[in-house]
Amino acid sequence: MVNFTVHNCGLTVGNIEILGVSAASMFQIGDSDYVTLYSMFDTPPESVIAGPMAPLPVPEGEEDAVGEAPMAG
Amino acid sequence: MQEHYPIRISQIGLVSVVDVSLGSIIQFGDRAEATPKLNALAVQRAMDHTKAGSVYFESYPIFNRPLPKLIDPVADAGEDVCIRRFNHCPRINIGCVFVTAVGATSSLLAGNAMRTIAESRIKHIRQYDKTLINVT
Repeated sequence: MVNFTVHNCGLTVGNIEILGVSAASMFQIGDSDYVTLYSMFDTPPESVIAGPMAPLPVPEGEEDAVGEAPMAG
Repeated sequence: MQEHYPIRISQIGLVSVVDVSLGSIIQFGDRAEATPKLNALAVQRAMDHTKAGSVYFESYPIFNRPLPKLIDPVADAGEDVCIRRFNHCPRINIGCVFVTAVGATSSLLAGNAMRTIAESRIKHIRQYDKTLINVT
């Protein structure tokens, strides 16, 4: 068992400038007990396909799949 | 013996935010639990919308794969770390906060929180209709 004791003395900050808080991040002014942040970001070089246009893959059980409504029709 | 305060109050002069998007939270005040989740497919294709067809989350394993799990019986039993906090000052003082963008299940919180579990899964697909390198 590790005993961890924190003494929060005075905390005063001037200005804070942030460009972006993104992808399961957190900016907090205050106290927190538990924080769990998951971020999965998939943009490998193979995500960029330059060549003949291939159709997007269709999953098994297409009828039950949660897909974007077709733009046509 | 110094005086202790059970919780701290946040005092902010000014907050300026330009953009909040994609399941994000901006909160002034305390909260118990927040569990924002985001699934996103960002598709850019050199194809007409009328011919492109649908795109499905089920086609890509990133949206199904399980979250990494901490396997630690000592931590599960709550016998790993004992945290004690003493607040000698009842306030956190901040001047001005300027934020350009808050996005993708992130949160900007001025106040206290008990538990936050945020999850974002984003997949990018880019399809261009010609080769970038000339193959002879």
